[in-house]
Formats: sequence, C-alpha cells, structure tokens
Amino acid sequence: MTQERAIDPVYAAQLTLNGLLLGLLYALIVSGLALLFGVLGIINFAHGEFLMAGAYLMAFALPVLGLAYLPSLLLAMLGVALLGCLAHALFLRRLREDEFERSILMTTGLSILLLNAVQYALTATPLLVDTQFGFDGIDLGGINITWTRIAAAAAAILALLLLWLCLTRTQLGRAMRAIAQNREAAMMVGIRPEAVARNAVILATALCGLAGAALAPIQLVQPSMGQFLIFKAFALVIIGGLGSIPGAAIAAVLLGLLESWIGGFFDAVWQEVVVFVAMMLVLLLRPDGLFGAPRMRAG
Amino acid sequence: MSPPLPDLPLLELRDLRAGYAAGPILHGVSFSLAAGRIATLLGGNGAGKSTLLRAVYGANRHYGGAVLFEGRDITALSPPRRLALGIGFVPQGRCNFAAMTVAENLLMGGYTLKRTEREAAIAAMLERFPVLARKAGEAAGNLSGGEQQVLEMAMVLITGPRLLLLDEPSLGLSPRMQAEVFATVAGLARESGVAVLMVEQNLRGALAISDTAIVLEMGRKFLEGPAAEVAVDPRIRHAYLGGNVTAADAA
Repeated sequence: MTQERAIDPVYAAQLTLNGLLLGLLYALIVSGLALLFGVLGIINFAHGEFLMAGAYLMAFALPVLGLAYLPSLLLAMLGVALLGCLAHALFLRRLREDEFERSILMTTGLSILLLNAVQYALTATPLLVDTQFGFDGIDLGGINITWTRIAAAAAAILALLLLWLCLTRTQLGRAMRAIAQNREAAMMVGIRPEAVARNAVILATALCGLAGAALAPIQLVQPSMGQFLIFKAFALVIIGGLGSIPGAAIAAVLLGLLESWIGGFFDAVWQEVVVFVAMMLVLLLRPDGLFGAPRMRAG
Repeated sequence: MSPPLPDLPLLELRDLRAGYAAGPILHGVSFSLAAGRIATLLGGNGAGKSTLLRAVYGANRHYGGAVLFEGRDITALSPPRRLALGIGFVPQGRCNFAAMTVAENLLMGGYTLKRTEREAAIAAMLERFPVLARKAGEAAGNLSGGEQQVLEMAMVLITGPRLLLLDEPSLGLSPRMQAEVFATVAGLARESGVAVLMVEQNLRGALAISDTAIVLEMGRKFLEGPAAEVAVDPRIRHAYLGGNVTAADAA
C-alpha cells in the first residue's frame, strides 16, 4: 500500500472543482449522444464536430457581441442546433432504424467533412478566446476559479436541469423516451418518429454546442478539439448504460472528477486512460452499464 | 359531425394487398365492418391476420387496393392520421413504455390530443379501470400481464377510437383475465358502438363475443360468416378449434 501523504486541502479542492466543471461539460456531450442513441438508434460520430462548431461560433460571436458571454453562448448554441437540424434533414432522416452500420459510416463521413471544412476555411491554428470576464476569477481561501469556469459550470447545470425537466415533464420529452423504450408502442399512440427524431437531434446538438461554446474560453479552440473527446464520450455512454441519459451524465461527472484527481495527484498520462479502463471493466462486469437495467435499454 | 349512416360500413377493405419490404402477404382481401360490430380474424400461422390489422392502421407496406373508413379512402394516411380519425390499434406483445409510470403511459396514450382533452380522457380512463388509478405511480413494466394489457387498451381508448384493432389481446393472460378482456371488448362494442377487428388465439372466447368471423388462408379471404355459424363449421372446428391440426393444412 502507498504511504499516507498529507494532501494539501486547497489543492485537492481546486482539483475537485476543476474536475466537476470538466465532468459537467462531458455530461452535456454524452447526454446528447445517449439521447441520439435512444431515439434514432445511431451512434453519432460527428458529435465531436458539433462541439467544435459550438466553440468556433463562440469564438466568432464574442468579438461581434462586444465580448458579452451569455448572448454569445446562446447564439453558438442556436447555431449548432441549426446545424444539427440541417444534418438531420440531409443525412440522418434517411437512415432507417435497422441501419446501424450505415449510421456509423454516415456520421463518420459527416465528421470528416465538417472537420476538414473548418480546417480549410479557418486553418488549424488554435484560437485563444477572450470574454468579458478576461482571466478574472474569485478567490475562495486560496482556491482560484475564473469566471469563465463558473459561468460554464452554471450554464451546464442549468442546461442539464432543463433537459431533465423536458424529458420528464413535457410531452415532447416523454415522446423521446417513449420511442427509445418501445417503437411499436410509440406507433400505437400516434407518435411520429421522424418529428421526434428531429427534436432529439436539435436538443442533442444544442447541448453539444453549448459544451463547445462554454469550453472555448477555457481551452484552445481548434478543428480537432472534438475528435479528442468523442471516443471518451462513447466510453461514457457505454459505462452509463447504452441509451441511459442520467447514467451517461453521472458517469461523465464522475469521470471529470477522476481525471482531475489523477492528473493532479499522479501522472497526467493516466488521465486519458482511466475512462477506457473503466469502460472495459464495465463491459466485463456489467454489460448493461452501471445505471442501465436491461429493461431500460434503449434501441 | 353526424354519425355514419346505419348501412354505411365503418371500415371497408377493397381488394387490399399489403405486406412488408420483402413482398406482399395479403393478396387481395375485401370485407366490411359496421359500427358496434365485432369481427374475429381466423387463420393459420402466416395467413396474414396481423398483417391485415397493421394494414388497416397503415403500419406496413401497401401494395394495392384500398382501405376506407366511413366511406373515405384513407389508404395514403400515416398511422397518426388514422389514429386521429378514430382508428386505434393495440399490437401484439407488450406495447407500453415499461420504464415509465402508468400515469406517464396514459399521458403518452393521449399524445395526439390537446392538453385539456387529454386530461379529461385520462381521468375517464382511471375511473373506468380503477386498477390503473391504484397503480398510477408504478412503472408499467412492474405490472402483471393482465394489468399491462388493460393499460395498453386504455392508452388507445383515451383517443376515443371508433374502430379498435386488437392483435391477440388475451395472449399470456390467466383464464379469468382473458374473460375480463373479452367482457371489456364486448362492452365497448355494445355500449359505445366501437367496431372491433381482432386476432385471437383463444378462438372460443373471441367467437363468443363476435358478430362475424373472417377466415384468412395464404393472404386471401377463405370464408366469412356469422361467428356463431363459423364456430360450428366442421372445417373451422377441425382446423382451429382443436381438431386434427394436420388436416388444417389441407383445407
């Protein structure tokens, strides 16, 4: 066993807060992925590019809107939702529910197309994004948190709360869960699968765009930023239980914390590995995921 | 809205050909059904009974012929449009949202209704089926088979259908629950004037409440007649009511 070391509580709290924020942003990404998997029965390989699009829209909206954070965030989110709507109308709508393999090829193609289009138009040079907050932050007894991080966490918590309310309290959201649970019963009650699928795509891409926009002032914005995250996001969806949105979101927050602690206390190399080790363990020990009982499995 | 004329059939199939992507299963079926009447579809496996119900709801591929509802050709309409016109379909097998509560399932049953209509219709269902009121907060998947069947029927009845398509409503139920389901169906027809077209494995129970029996063979109508007569028809008794099954294949 390792020797008990005195851990600086301020450092530990700082890592915890950083991890929590990272986890909340992961949660925005993976809840959308889980939603798409449940409602459309697809794995969206282009999800990372929607994140990247959100970050770039944020980077371009900020200077135009006088560095105002919230309006830029909302604009970026809206822009990505529109992009998602377009992707649904042009590509995803044409996939039938039994065409899982085609969905992988189709969304991979879309991913590469978006990635290279952005690289061509904007070059691969990373952008540093400034907001009204600059690098200011607050100091809580030695723990320093920048306003961009606080705003990102607040936006993520609010968005996840609204998503939960939408899924449990509105007919629009219930219809999404309904289709994910039983397509035949959804047909029985007169739900139009295509309309619900479009709504799910808009919701999922808006959440992903929000994550990208919130991430933009925190890390460098570059065309490949989504590629980095997408496999991690798939692993989280599997850990959470395929199609389980709360499961994926909880797994995401836990991963954020775990990554931050591991990066802070051990070697940063292991930070990127932990999620895949967790995924392999879950696949071996609990194939239905940590939170997905078999009967709740979507698709 | 005026009620349909007594002699105008509620549902009419004209030379209906339908099936799936692989090809048609029904090769031209015609019959009609009036309001308040119950018809049972009979036939062996693969005769096209379920395919016919799905075709009336618009839930499979159309190959030819027409479906008329109150004299109107609805062949081109999607299932939600047909539901809005008054055609309800309870497919075979468990057809509810297992991880949602009974209350949420009923909300989904009223998906095509406006909010106020939906709330009134759900209240009426809870009154009609007290078991659903008692278990409103439970996940549908935790209900017994009979309770789930009642829930599924309630989810469709919420929309106030005038034609009800039932695929094996008594499947997997205890004899007592089967009798309850048949009594409910009979009540709907006699009291509310709902027309019912059903496929049933319990033929004695189904024919006892049916006005008409329609026998399908290989995707075509083989026989149609009053349920009481068909029930005693030696060919039918032999084939479907517990006779020599091998003889059925020759019929």
